[in-house]
Amino acid sequence: MSTSPQEHSGWTRYAPWILLAVILVFPFILPSRYLLRTMVNIFFFAALGCAWNIIGGYAGQLSLGHAAFMAMGAYPTALLLLGYNVPPWLGFIPGVVVAVVMAFLLGHMVFGLRGPYLALSTLAFGEIVRILLLHFRDQTGGSLGVTIPFKGTDAWKLQFASEQPYYFICLALLGLCLYVTYKVHGSRMGYYLQAIKENQDAAENLGIDLANNKVRALMISAALTALLGAFYVSYFYYIDPDSVCGVDLSIKILLVAIIGGVGTVWGPIIGACILIPLTEISNYLFGSGRAGASLIIYAIILMLVILFSPRGLIALLPGGERSYRHE
Amino acid sequence: MDVAIFLQTIVNGLMMGGVYALIAVGLTLIFGVMNVVNFAHGEFVMLGMVLTYLLHAFLGMDPGVSILLVIPVMLGVGALVQKGLISRVIGQPDEAQILLTLGLSVLLINLALLFLGPDYRSVKTGYKFSVWAAGPVLFSVPRLLAFVVAMAFSGILWLFLTRTDLGKGLRAVAEKPEVATLMGINPKKMHALAFGIGISLAAGAGSILSPFFYTFPSVGGMFVLTAFVVVVLGGMGNIPGAILGALAIGVTESLTSQYVALDLAMLGVFIIFVLVLVFKPSGILGKGKVY
Repeated sequence: MSTSPQEHSGWTRYAPWILLAVILVFPFILPSRYLLRTMVNIFFFAALGCAWNIIGGYAGQLSLGHAAFMAMGAYPTALLLLGYNVPPWLGFIPGVVVAVVMAFLLGHMVFGLRGPYLALSTLAFGEIVRILLLHFRDQTGGSLGVTIPFKGTDAWKLQFASEQPYYFICLALLGLCLYVTYKVHGSRMGYYLQAIKENQDAAENLGIDLANNKVRALMISAALTALLGAFYVSYFYYIDPDSVCGVDLSIKILLVAIIGGVGTVWGPIIGACILIPLTEISNYLFGSGRAGASLIIYAIILMLVILFSPRGLIALLPGGERSYRHE
Repeated sequence: MDVAIFLQTIVNGLMMGGVYALIAVGLTLIFGVMNVVNFAHGEFVMLGMVLTYLLHAFLGMDPGVSILLVIPVMLGVGALVQKGLISRVIGQPDEAQILLTLGLSVLLINLALLFLGPDYRSVKTGYKFSVWAAGPVLFSVPRLLAFVVAMAFSGILWLFLTRTDLGKGLRAVAEKPEVATLMGINPKKMHALAFGIGISLAAGAGSILSPFFYTFPSVGGMFVLTAFVVVVLGGMGNIPGAILGALAIGVTESLTSQYVALDLAMLGVFIIFVLVLVFKPSGILGKGKVY
């Protein structure tokens, strides 16, 4: 349930709408390709963070293998387009179905585990998927990956020469992820998940079905992540097991949510708005060849957040504490 | 099935398993005493390899000698990391320590990348390609040395934990921290000692790996997952369990790569891992005490 209107005073009530208007007209006022790509990156990682947040933040079930769900969305989309000319608009569906089924199976297998055991089993899950993608090279291209040729603007195939269409598609995907998170946040299931996060045993004693709620949260999260994977391959035209299924990506996804604020609707957006520009600035300062520099900054921010503001940076904002509460 | 090839596969697995054992006993010691899963453990293997590489490149020091320098240095580093970082999340939710050590891992990999670059480096010893034949089975000399040294250090750790007062103090903190405190043992000192020993053994494993394994910033990732598997298999906190688990995992990996497919070696390991987690998360030997 949303915060009541009287808590917002004056202009802050309209601030989100003004921001949205700016975001919507931005590509027409400043059609710089570089800026738009950066914005798409922000939307994309914010959306991934939102999707992760449903299971990792709200339910407190730390997943270190989320990249695997992205690969499940990305690979079928790419292979269907290449092999059978199925447009990504339809081609994303099998991947999402696979991800949801895998989430169902994985959830029932590992959600009896807690803490480090759960984190380790999700890490192993991600690695198993990556090893299989590398092994079945006849189908997946192995470590060479899959490249989609660009054959001129074709909306049916989700191929555009200009950046604007991707900008709005990714914005819409972020909107979808936010909408789903918002719905979960205010739903009965959202309350259950928070109870599970606070204390699993107490939640179970109150009659909450732990396994069922956790698995449902993982299935929602996996579906959104796979959908974003389908967008990823349509936008970058290239995937390989390390870029869409690596541990690095899984960590980056959870960083966005944790640095911004776990278990909040807006936390991942704050996280992405900090991390992605930081990457750009550090690439500018140190050169993108020294890829290490931006990750050093990420790691230091992560450690500082864990030590000094474990609820994420959103808790430091005025009124940020409110984002956790159900009102 | 060719018996010689089969024996060779088992021997190769055991040799590698020995190195895994040295990495895993450190990880399991840290878990047993501090209840912390160290996601940065692999990066300390990498630091050990880097130190050994540098000592070899600039001073021409043999890895067998540099391990005697690497271990005390990393003991100090570990105690400092524990006091400065890890101690702040002891007693907090699991997520805090997982994410803190994960952050440390990303930091160390990328610092190495920044200072050393992404190149694969190797330590070229005189015995790098030497082979010792025992009947039909061939022992690669650097791997055999690594196995012997790893087993020796694991044995020394076991003697330390069972025969010395300091070691008994560590075990007391692992079993009943409150009672240990009442007996005049300072749990904070024991945590620093456990973390120091744990990562110095990982770094020592890095030293003995360096003659036959490339050194590069993200090399730790290749060992840390295996070490987690071993530790879970043996029972978290159980040192004999970790040694047996490591040998079993080494052999599993070797058999999978020989008889299934080379690039699926880790798959066999992970499948065992998930099965153990799901059906017997306390490990084959049970959640043990540190002894």
